[in-house]
Amino acid sequence: MKQRVELSINGDTHELAVEPQTTLLEILRDHLGLTGTKEACGTGECGSCTVLIAGKPILSCLALAMDCQKQPIITIEGLSEGGKLTPVQQAFLDCGAIQCGFCTPGMVLSSTALLEENPSPSEEEIRKALEGHLCRCTGYNKIIEAVKKAAERMANK
Amino acid sequence: MDSTLTYIGQRIPRKDGPEKVTGRAIYTVDIQLPGMLMGRILRSPHPHARILNIDISRATNLKGVKAVITAQDTIGKKHSFVETPRYPADQYPLATDRVRFVGEEIAAVAATDPYVAEEALSLIQVDYDPLPAVFDPEEAMQSGAPEIHPSHPKVTKPLMNVAGKTESGWGNVERGFAQSDHIRQDRFESHLRTHGYLEPQATVASFEPGGKLNVWTSSQGPFIKRAKLAGTLGLPFSTVRIQKAYVGGAFGGKIDLFSHEVCASLLSMKTGRPVKIVASREEIFTAYRHGQPLIVEIKTGVKKDGTLVAQRARVINNCGAYRGSGVVVIFLAWGFIMIPYRLPNLAYEGYAVYTNNPIRAPQRGHGAPQVRFAVESQLDMIAEELGIDPVEIRLRNARLPGEQLPNGDNVHNCGLIECIQKAAEHTEFRKKYGMNRSTPRFGGRIRRGIGIGVSSYFSGSLIYPNSSSVVVKMNDDGTVTLLTGALDIGQGAETILCQIVAEELKIPLEEIQVIAADTETTPVDIGSWISGNAYVSGNAARMAATEVRRKLLDIAAGEMEAKVEDLRVEDKSIYVASSPGQRLTYRQLVATSIQKRRGDPIIGEGHWRAMRDEPFHPSLATTKGRWSENYAFDAQVAEVEVDIETGQVRLVRAVTAHDCGFPINPLLVEGQVDGQVSMALGHALMEEVLMKEGRTLNPNWLEYRMPTIHNVALSEYINVITEQYKMDRSYGTKEGGEGSTSAILDVAMSEHVDVRPKHVELGPPYRSKEAGEGLVSAILAAIANAIYDAVEVRLNTTPFTPEKILRGLGKIR
Repeated sequence: MKQRVELSINGDTHELAVEPQTTLLEILRDHLGLTGTKEACGTGECGSCTVLIAGKPILSCLALAMDCQKQPIITIEGLSEGGKLTPVQQAFLDCGAIQCGFCTPGMVLSSTALLEENPSPSEEEIRKALEGHLCRCTGYNKIIEAVKKAAERMANK
Repeated sequence: MDSTLTYIGQRIPRKDGPEKVTGRAIYTVDIQLPGMLMGRILRSPHPHARILNIDISRATNLKGVKAVITAQDTIGKKHSFVETPRYPADQYPLATDRVRFVGEEIAAVAATDPYVAEEALSLIQVDYDPLPAVFDPEEAMQSGAPEIHPSHPKVTKPLMNVAGKTESGWGNVERGFAQSDHIRQDRFESHLRTHGYLEPQATVASFEPGGKLNVWTSSQGPFIKRAKLAGTLGLPFSTVRIQKAYVGGAFGGKIDLFSHEVCASLLSMKTGRPVKIVASREEIFTAYRHGQPLIVEIKTGVKKDGTLVAQRARVINNCGAYRGSGVVVIFLAWGFIMIPYRLPNLAYEGYAVYTNNPIRAPQRGHGAPQVRFAVESQLDMIAEELGIDPVEIRLRNARLPGEQLPNGDNVHNCGLIECIQKAAEHTEFRKKYGMNRSTPRFGGRIRRGIGIGVSSYFSGSLIYPNSSSVVVKMNDDGTVTLLTGALDIGQGAETILCQIVAEELKIPLEEIQVIAADTETTPVDIGSWISGNAYVSGNAARMAATEVRRKLLDIAAGEMEAKVEDLRVEDKSIYVASSPGQRLTYRQLVATSIQKRRGDPIIGEGHWRAMRDEPFHPSLATTKGRWSENYAFDAQVAEVEVDIETGQVRLVRAVTAHDCGFPINPLLVEGQVDGQVSMALGHALMEEVLMKEGRTLNPNWLEYRMPTIHNVALSEYINVITEQYKMDRSYGTKEGGEGSTSAILDVAMSEHVDVRPKHVELGPPYRSKEAGEGLVSAILAAIANAIYDAVEVRLNTTPFTPEKILRGLGKIR
């Protein structure tokens, strides 16, 4: 039995009718065409489907759409404004922290949340923040470098 | 020194980065078409069974189901990764009368949503008659083992389950062993690992009423896919169009034709609607293709000083229920023994054996990790027995530049010696090796060890489609469009091709548009799976750009009444060297060409083929024939810490000294090194697909542990430059162009001496070598050798689990 929900995604309000078991990930990808949020496992093991809810990274494959109302949701598409890359996005690009790119949206969102809360994280804090994200291409070295670089640039702004 | 290189050799961020970092890059899984149906596949629960009957009637009648297909909907044509007279195709896209592994595809459904499709699968009734099954390759080779392909022509009688055999060698091994001072024989075994690509296997097929089949599929190259898909569907190649979608990782696992690609196509043809099939992660773990565990038995004879005299190697590959790339691995295993060290006598035999396991795929390194683990581990054992240090024994046997390999190939500008020396020097290997055994640095329970390994990999060979062609077009506004069939799977294929074009035409990367990986609009390309992108496609791009430049220079010479050799190319324009004010922009030159040369808009085409004078690839059965003209080399050093209480091993540091010719983009090369070190770390210490009687026991990432951000080794790189980028000064690049070009060049082997006549249009073959899969092997061996150095436990089987370490230490039984 479908129910009405109201979701705030990237600043836009969406009114939708959803089944109770529908996940936020399904809403984003299949209903709203926001395919920047990726699904690699669908069972909360890889971090690819991460979005920010009230600034905190959550796994959208494990979140029911009905539970995500009345809180601002940010996906990768909503991160940069006016086509300009954020410092985190730019650092990922400059440091070679992107290869196939499938884990990138989730990595970028979790890194953004981290730096929002902790502008100068230690390497261990970076690892802790990104421990739920699998990346098979980069070996993570350049991802760590990118987060440090972003922190440095944001501090010098 | 002034650098002549503007784009090549620069740390340029990847061209598709902005798309990927903003979520705008569209992967196959992201494609949505109007009216699209979702497909699901019914798979065998049995490892081996006869199919007695398939009843689809209930599924067909389910509301929302638009089509159900079985083998009867196919044209009954088999396909295979390898299709030769000796190894004919052996797999139907949907099982006909028999299933041979758990997960084999039996039927497929297209429905209005994935949940309906899933429900429909449960309504398909299949009656099976289970048959005896065999899972171990050596058991499968015994007489009396269940025969997996009874109606198949046999490769070797009476061994019914042998899918393929490779026999090769040179010299006289028996005489070689008789001449040896020291002989060792060992057996090494490797385990089952999966590729771990994040984007699931996925295909969208959309059949047009006019007869065109449009396909987007997560793959490693559209041209081999089109050949196999069209062949299996019985369609002319020209009616199947495979288009580009971003690829979320592949690592060898997405090359071959898969049943879901055939099923999505057939379902779309049957319903007239687009059909999408996405595999679940559990399906990928249980029914898709993993790598290839090898048994490597190796007997080696050496002189007292460690010089290799003779080797006898026997390799057995458990290739699963169908050949997959199993018969290629037993060929390649021979090659990976042959390349790095001089070896006067070799006798080699390799067997690919059918078992009732899922099929195997190529996996980054395609046999090299397993083979180098065996050879390099044994070499360390021999070195210790002879009292030689591991670096010395490798230097003594390593190939030198210009040596001819026993198969007739030449290693040209081989930088192996430099790789070994640099890796050892950088890590103070000789000082550290053995030290921790006598006086453990940390005392306590943590022991530190250091180990080295060596490997080599080919850069492109002759397998369909054998060729790369690139088209470079000038646009009215003076910008450039690059058309390539190359598919960027994350390694940066598009970026480096752009860098090559940018360099030849002195135009920024931002002004080069790329159209890629579309069988209809882009020229043929060998694909991102045979380590030939930089070399084969790179040379094609260089030729195409050179043709464009030749035309531009020619027009400029006429317009400015100057000789071509007096012209200089710079910043999208051409000027006269002696009077830089005399200058024409590309935009002006294109307009002039159209006006004065009968409308010529200036287009260049270039093509390249590895082994261009050879008709065919080498024989998989005998290895005869040339294999590659371009080999990359590397030496890798691992430093590990072993906890003698828990048996846990940590890879602390990985140093890669590699000869990739010339790094076109060091940033991307480093990314390849890091990724391979990480993959080897997982291979060595963490990952194993556990199977019992053909069923996967750990089909998810919680139980199959891939490295996370907590499992990262310090990764260091040493570029051994064996190929100066061949600049032709007649092109009008800046003066003083010889020599190395930036601080990243650590070792320049061959001084660049350009004595060619001034008006040469294209330099010698551009031997940038592969960097994408050769560096996953030596590091595995180095980890094994470092563990031995730390705790004197020699492990002959991967992975190096705490249990094996503790058993080796005598702490558990």
